[in-house]
Amino acid sequence: MHIVVLAKVVPDYEVPAGDFELTNSRAHSRYKRMMGLYDENAIESGVQLKEKYSASLTIVSYGIKADIQVLRKAVAMGGEKLSLVLGGSDDPNVIAANLKMAVEKLEDVDLILAGQQSADMDRGIVHGMLAEMLGFAFIPQVAKIEQEDGQWKVIQNTESGSSELKFGGKAVLSITSVPENVPRIPVVRSIFAAKKKPVVQLPEIEGDAMPVDELSVDIPKMESVCEFLPTEDDPAETAKILLGRLREERLI
Amino acid sequence: MGRTPYWNIDLGILIDLFALPMIVIFFYGMYGHWKRIRQGKVRVNLDLSKSAGKIGPVYLYSLLTKGILGTKIYKKIYTGVAHGGLFWGMVVLLLGTILVFLNVLFGLPVFSGGFNHWFMAFALDFAGLAVFGGILFFLVRRLLFPPERLTEPKSRTGFSPIVLLLGVVILTGFVVEGGRIACNGIDNGSFMGNYLSMMFGKGDEWLTLHRYMWWIHGFLALGFLAYIPYSPLVHLLLVPVNAALADPMPGTKMGLIDFSSFEDEESEEMPVLGAAKLADFSRKRLLDYSTCLWCGRCHEVCPAAQTGKPLSPKGVIITLAECLQDGRVEDDSLIDSLTSEALFCCTTCAACMEACPALINQPKTIMKFRQNLVMERSEIPELMGKANSSLELRGHPFFGTGAGPNDWCKDLDVPLFEEGKTEYLLWIGCSVTYEERAQQIAGSMVKILSHAGTSFGILEEFRCTGDPAKQMGNEFQFAELAQQNIEDFSDLGIKKIITMCPHCYNSFTRHYPKLGGNYQVIPHSVFLKSLLKAGRLSLNRETNTICYHDPCYLGRRNAIYDEPRDVVNSMGKLVEMPRNRNESFCCGGGGGNYWAEEVGTRINQVRAEEALGTGADFIATSCPFCLLMLTDGAKKFTEDQKIFDIAELVALQLEER
Ligand code: SF4
Ligand code: SF4
Repeated sequence: MHIVVLAKVVPDYEVPAGDFELTNSRAHSRYKRMMGLYDENAIESGVQLKEKYSASLTIVSYGIKADIQVLRKAVAMGGEKLSLVLGGSDDPNVIAANLKMAVEKLEDVDLILAGQQSADMDRGIVHGMLAEMLGFAFIPQVAKIEQEDGQWKVIQNTESGSSELKFGGKAVLSITSVPENVPRIPVVRSIFAAKKKPVVQLPEIEGDAMPVDELSVDIPKMESVCEFLPTEDDPAETAKILLGRLREERLI
Repeated sequence: MGRTPYWNIDLGILIDLFALPMIVIFFYGMYGHWKRIRQGKVRVNLDLSKSAGKIGPVYLYSLLTKGILGTKIYKKIYTGVAHGGLFWGMVVLLLGTILVFLNVLFGLPVFSGGFNHWFMAFALDFAGLAVFGGILFFLVRRLLFPPERLTEPKSRTGFSPIVLLLGVVILTGFVVEGGRIACNGIDNGSFMGNYLSMMFGKGDEWLTLHRYMWWIHGFLALGFLAYIPYSPLVHLLLVPVNAALADPMPGTKMGLIDFSSFEDEESEEMPVLGAAKLADFSRKRLLDYSTCLWCGRCHEVCPAAQTGKPLSPKGVIITLAECLQDGRVEDDSLIDSLTSEALFCCTTCAACMEACPALINQPKTIMKFRQNLVMERSEIPELMGKANSSLELRGHPFFGTGAGPNDWCKDLDVPLFEEGKTEYLLWIGCSVTYEERAQQIAGSMVKILSHAGTSFGILEEFRCTGDPAKQMGNEFQFAELAQQNIEDFSDLGIKKIITMCPHCYNSFTRHYPKLGGNYQVIPHSVFLKSLLKAGRLSLNRETNTICYHDPCYLGRRNAIYDEPRDVVNSMGKLVEMPRNRNESFCCGGGGGNYWAEEVGTRINQVRAEEALGTGADFIATSCPFCLLMLTDGAKKFTEDQKIFDIAELVALQLEER
């Protein structure tokens, strides 16, 4: 069994709002680069499957050469090799086409896992497009994966609940974050071993960019608004008023 | 008239011959301990004989005071006195027996004059009485009214038989003495013997009884001595050895781990990181486990054990002691039996070490297990794992912080450190940078240092010292961060550092030198004291009462108790909590537990309640983690802001003046 996990290196997704700034409509280059949050959940899920079903695990990414250093963490978590397509496009169609090319160069890929959305663009569409291109099934927001009678059984978490799905054949699964796939800290011997594991660097292929132009990018401005809630004798009442106000403002 | 040994005993000298097999049994038992202990790893201490009062690996002062005089025992006065009576009584009785032996063999004149009166008669009787009193105290306490520390998580068996045996030895000794005095006449000074002699007659049957008693006493005494290595009383011998070899520097020092063999492809065997089984520990640690008295003094002071967490330092040490006794040194299920939940509850406060009369280093053992869990098995509680990842990714552990790295100084004019121009680096530290409440400490220090005209500067960009990673067991992460900091410091020619966080202070002074980073490091409380002393700051002493909480990493781990108190005293009236100085109770934030989902009672609430209970106007501390933890803990009891760092209080006075 061969599992592929897609991982993307992104700028620090926890830069405090007051400190965040853009250059050329993208996060400033001074921010540290790291693996996307959901991608780490996907890697953890992949490593667990690898351990459970004695599978092999390859990390595939699309990005720049400097990302290799960050992606080694994915390898240290339990990947066996890394395949990186060198490119700088933000277009989902181009990225998906390049990932497809990288996946096809690997042999017998059974399952592709990816974080449910990247931590920089937050679009959550590349994996769906990739599934389409590969002719694989696509299931988003997967929380749990198991093999049963030669088929895959997955739990899909949605906002309103969860569903249990079963499929045979090949698939792309987008992975959501659950307590069971909290990313592990790589053990020290794996960190060192990851430095020696093979890295395949592939040149980018030209994909068809989507016919969409980016006109502007804005980030929310920090605003401080102070409002005093009426204090009631019962703090529970005040809490209810606060909840109501937060809902009104669509903050929760 | 002098006493004649063996006056009623034919061939009494035989008892000395019987001593020989007993001595063999005794040493065989001790050899058994050595055989178990030597299964540990040999660690070579490169610091050998560098410090005063140290010969080879032996710390003489510690051996004498804590090992032989047992000074730590007297922290509990009743137990201490009972223990002192028992131990010193036995020493005196043993000495008396040896003198009798020397008298018989070589005619040493011990049974005449004042020496006979005061030592051989009075002192030996008094010693016997002291031993007997001690035995009664321990039996009553262990069997009838055992304190929780003796029974939790479990009691030791095996004390009662040997203590009872000793009691019988003492009683038969008194009876023999009484019989001798009844037949030979009053022996001035032997107050116990003289008293008991009144119960004896003088006929042949009494002489026979005396003879039997003499042999019974002799054999029981020899049996007792031979039994010591096989019983809990072996601590009589092991505690002094452990004390002699225990580094008297306060707190735990975790040695360096050499990760280079992981780089080496040729390397056949990778070292085990931390410890998962007994064989992974050093011989000194195995000596620790053999020495444990199961007294539970560590359990009693442990913030985790006392607030319903699954950790008991006594529980950890006795589990290891039993495992060692059973010969399960290669059993790597040991770490699982201790559970990672328990091991990560330790706040590394070192209260257990401080309380332990056997000088056992419990936190080091716990840390070794943590290192194994984190670096070999990726096992770490979720929040601590996130803090670790943040350290790796961002150079600080405050994941999800709402503060940017320069927020703390956005309204301040703070100079940057300039090579060759600036004297002190004001090291900000991660909690002061990223936690809003703690940021005010840095603001206050900047005001104070500017006011005092100190030449200081900060770094343009900084990362954490790595201490949280180290305390959570991720030595690898610590080493990476520390090395990067050391490189930055070298580039800037930094030699003197003022710290606001005792964890940073502890890292810079204890761990950085081993990685090549040697600096003069001054905790801010000490620096404030020196500014006050030099007259560069002057504060009006007000009528406010201020209670001072000792941070574990400044107090117990670095013995800095007086300077912060002097600063407090120069601003107001110092009041103490019941648990202060080296007996201070942790705030709950150490050992990475700032990022813990605490079970049981919250430690910071316990400590905050104790601090508020003093009724002081302010509660001062000198650690940002303590400030944050206690501020949070106090919210349960008061809405007033009462907890401050001492720098904040000093800065407040500067403003008011
Ligand atoms: S260091 Fe503190 S928390 Fe840890 S076991 Fe010892 S007393 Fe308990
Ligand atoms: S470790 Fe020390 S304090 Fe704890 S039970 Fe053993 S001897 Fe007593």
